[in-house]
Amino acid sequence: MNNSILNISLNRGTARIKAALFLGIIAFVIAFSVSVNSTAIAELLRPAMSPEVLSGMWGRVSCAFVMGIVVSILTYFLLALPEKLQSRLVWGLLAIGALSAFYSFDLSFTFIGNKIPFLISQGAVTTIYVSAISILLAFIFAMLGATAKLSGISILKGIGDFYTSYFRGVPLLVQLFLIYLGLPQLGLVIDPIPAAIAALSLVYGAYMTEIFRSGIQSISMGQWEAADALGLARMRTFQKVILPQAMRLIVPPTGNQFIAMLKDSSLVSVVGVWDIMFIARTQGRADFKILEMLITASIIYWMMSMLLEVLQNRIESHYAKSLKH
Amino acid sequence: MKKIIKKVLLSAALVAVSASSTSYAGKVIDTVIDNKLLVVATNSDYRPNSFLGDKNELEGFDIDVSREVAKRLGVAVKFVTPGWEIMTAGRWMGRWHMAVGSMTPTVKRAEVLDFPAVYYFTPAGFAVHKDAKAKSISDLNGKVIGVVSTSTYHRYLQKNLNIDALGTPPFEYQVTPGDIRLYGDVNEFDDLALGEGVRLDAIMQSLPVIKQAIAKGIPVKTLGAPVFYEPLAIAIDKGDAQFGNKIAGIIETMKADGSLTAFSLKWHGADYVSVK
Repeated sequence: MNNSILNISLNRGTARIKAALFLGIIAFVIAFSVSVNSTAIAELLRPAMSPEVLSGMWGRVSCAFVMGIVVSILTYFLLALPEKLQSRLVWGLLAIGALSAFYSFDLSFTFIGNKIPFLISQGAVTTIYVSAISILLAFIFAMLGATAKLSGISILKGIGDFYTSYFRGVPLLVQLFLIYLGLPQLGLVIDPIPAAIAALSLVYGAYMTEIFRSGIQSISMGQWEAADALGLARMRTFQKVILPQAMRLIVPPTGNQFIAMLKDSSLVSVVGVWDIMFIARTQGRADFKILEMLITASIIYWMMSMLLEVLQNRIESHYAKSLKH
Repeated sequence: MKKIIKKVLLSAALVAVSASSTSYAGKVIDTVIDNKLLVVATNSDYRPNSFLGDKNELEGFDIDVSREVAKRLGVAVKFVTPGWEIMTAGRWMGRWHMAVGSMTPTVKRAEVLDFPAVYYFTPAGFAVHKDAKAKSISDLNGKVIGVVSTSTYHRYLQKNLNIDALGTPPFEYQVTPGDIRLYGDVNEFDDLALGEGVRLDAIMQSLPVIKQAIAKGIPVKTLGAPVFYEPLAIAIDKGDAQFGNKIAGIIETMKADGSLTAFSLKWHGADYVSVK
């Protein structure tokens, strides 16, 4: 039994040929429209085709045509592989494609090499610890917020509603400025990093409050009633019956929020926190090599997000145990 | 009843008065001397004045000047890098004691900050792509010009530049741009490097920065002579005259004994301390 949306098999027959041709045509159109013959990818064709053949409109067509054929053949053979291997290979090929696109930008790699140690030792470390503390606090705020909203006590619900309304409704950057510049007017002079952590955790806590609330509310009333019938106290029911089931629905969107927060932490560079984005911008601007630093920063962010993805998958499968028979 | 209301109103007025007239007189200098630490706000990406160097530490003209001022105060120095908008917004609340960030003492900024000492002058000019057809500054009329948001160059292009420092040489508005593109985090030089007219026809910046860009291999060139010389001053938070006088005195002696000129020659390759 599977639950995929399409029940098409592309492993053999005409479906396999059609799929291969279809992807080949898409590759041709993309390669043609970005005039692939003038990029570094064309260098790969250099042994087979002379520079004259590769230039001009004709070069653009023929180069794109070669790309289309290559993609078609690749797809055709790919479709014969086991399914799991297929998706992994496609992921890998796309990653290589993205990286080679970066490569074709004509970047100074010695510059990147010189700057990467500091980008990691100062920038990535700051980003990680700011995000980690914010994630932890956001989780606590979300738990409190959801509990308040579902407590059945009107005053608590009012507080919870106000919290999610305000902190979801005002942009993160504005919150950050309000906390950093506004609090000192009330006599509380706050440093950049605590201000950043406060803004990130309050805003993401508000988003996650709603995720937690909807997850908890999606568990059917029957579960509460059954627990009531067994004489379980309400709080105990919540902890032992409702929350474990709700977690299955809460974890995927929460993982999403964590990944989003990791990247939104780059906003803190505006108040002078030396995170990845700050170092990348500063070093890039000072040496007029902003693209180099932005691409390096994007790869570091991407790798950190992938780690969070793995973590999310682990937690997801832990809470999905009840579904496996 | 009336008495109570009167009392309440009176005390409210007292609170309001004492809150509005927060006097910092002598407060900053005392903190600096007591903690033996001068906290200086500066830029982190403004080569050659203050930037992260190869050793991943701040260096440049502004940094050397700050170190020298701290040395003459007999205290240690620490640098912070808040955003430019935050630095120029004033109300620092003691987060840092002075800003040495090549800041021009405009009338608008003087409303929220004090500028005790001008420490050098910078020529401002235009840069175009190296293959540009423009021959003189007047060719830039009606063109798209890129400039850092809220900078003095931005104000110049808007024909709204008021510098109220003593000794500011007079200048004229020589260009009427067709469109002004504002830059903050993105480097305007990157957009100009794409070619003339692709995104920008020209940029306005300080001459030292344009020179740095050319030295770093960006395909741009300067156009015409500098259009104005702007004084650049050390900024402190409003209202501490004692601290301001101290800074002014130190800068005066640094001018007299030639140490400021030495820093300028080291970082700018020219003497920008005295206006020519």
